[in-house]
Amino acid sequence: METLFLDFFQNTGFFLCDYRNIIMILVGMLFIYLGIAKDYEPLLLVPIGFGMLMGNIPVFKGLGLGIYESNSVLHYLYLGVTQGVYPPLIFLGIGAMTDFSTLLARPVLMLLGAAAQAGIFITFLGALALGFTPHEAASIGIIGGADGPTAIFLTAKLAPTLIGPIAVAAYSYMALVPVIQPPIMRFLTSRKERLIRMEEPREVTKREKILFPIIAFLLCCFLAPAALPLLGMLCFGNLLKEAVVTERLAVAARTSIIDSVTILLGVTVGASTQGDVFLTTKSVGIFFLGALSFCIATACGVIFAKFMNLFLKSKINPLLGAAGVSAVPDSARVVQVVGQREDPTNFLLMHAMAPNISGVIGSAIAAGVLWSFMS
Amino acid sequence: MYGLEAIATNNGWAISVVGVSIVFTGLMLLSLSISRIHKILDLWDNRNDIRIFRKKTQEKKEPVLLVFTENNKESARQFRLLIKTMDDPFSLQCLLYLAQISGLERPHSSLCRLIKAGIIEPDHQGKYFFNREAFKKFAS
Repeated sequence: METLFLDFFQNTGFFLCDYRNIIMILVGMLFIYLGIAKDYEPLLLVPIGFGMLMGNIPVFKGLGLGIYESNSVLHYLYLGVTQGVYPPLIFLGIGAMTDFSTLLARPVLMLLGAAAQAGIFITFLGALALGFTPHEAASIGIIGGADGPTAIFLTAKLAPTLIGPIAVAAYSYMALVPVIQPPIMRFLTSRKERLIRMEEPREVTKREKILFPIIAFLLCCFLAPAALPLLGMLCFGNLLKEAVVTERLAVAARTSIIDSVTILLGVTVGASTQGDVFLTTKSVGIFFLGALSFCIATACGVIFAKFMNLFLKSKINPLLGAAGVSAVPDSARVVQVVGQREDPTNFLLMHAMAPNISGVIGSAIAAGVLWSFMS
Repeated sequence: MYGLEAIATNNGWAISVVGVSIVFTGLMLLSLSISRIHKILDLWDNRNDIRIFRKKTQEKKEPVLLVFTENNKESARQFRLLIKTMDDPFSLQCLLYLAQISGLERPHSSLCRLIKAGIIEPDHQGKYFFNREAFKKFAS
């Protein structure tokens, strides 16, 4: 009887617990707190946070419970991440809920989304300089795209062992957009620039909105075919939305599909952060470079907006450049908040959505380009 | 391997420059093409006007075999005086009304001849304008 009790005790989490599991459980609880109490990306941070709790329950190896054990339920769910299934489905939902009107009304703002992607490549160089392999460096650089699904997709293809830290870093920084971006935006712009008012956008017809996803898909995927899974689903989702006749499918894509996949993605990514796998010096480097990538992307967007103003007759508010990092729609909201601090009657949100959405397209192209270079 | 040496060995500089260029090119092409969508759609919507314009130019090339008698010329001169009192382009209905209350002879038939001769031409938006060249050719 004593032996049975002892065996049972040796299989409990209390006995198998490691200090790294405790740290990760605390981080998971912090994520849940930030999501619920501070309302920082709750739809992502709460599933990831709880996933961290699930992944860091110490289990006896061989029982088929851990996410890295090939016969476990979590492992099967995690296949959606490692095989790159979930990110395109999330893009389908994003496409079905995004209105491209502001982008179509003023396409020049799309260049801000391109400029912000420079952060990806600068961080890629930084990661190489710090000793990461090219595959790892590309996966770390994509954090600057501020697009969780894209980061996960590329990492799953190039450096699957880093999915945990990269996904957590990407989503953490996305949640921290309201903290990270404003100081950089204020530092790089003068008050006069922040007060610039944008022209009223022209009205966009339904036919333009229907044609856009088709043209965008064909053009971008002919240029960077590796962006096909992400851009294809994004544009398809948008076509479902704009076509009106496929409203049922669009509703499914923007509600049940994206919600289900977000839950599975969040929980499995969280669960992949097992203390012994996650808490390494590499993870520290990834977090440092991820933050750097985010800052550089924001700065590149703002500086490029100022550069464009040298040539444009109708000036654009350089704060919009910060929305070029994807993080839809948080970075656009930050632009609105920072702009309204200077002038409460200046509404930039609608205009910021244009670079914000082009940032999504830009980061998907960048991911495709990096993937094709590394393959 | 660390630092600039690692970047150079892994072809980092080239990948970054080409990568940024591709992203920029892609979004710039997309930006250019979508900035033209509404213009192309406008052109498509007005494709019938373009055909009419083509027909009109072809019709212009055909010689008009119209003979203006002295009475017809006098009638054309009277219509010109009436048109001068109107806006440009003018309403055909108003011109006809003015011709009737001014007591011009056979205003419908005269007006029809002026249109056939191209002295009065439609602007394809429901109004008409006076063609001086055609007037000089037939009625002066």
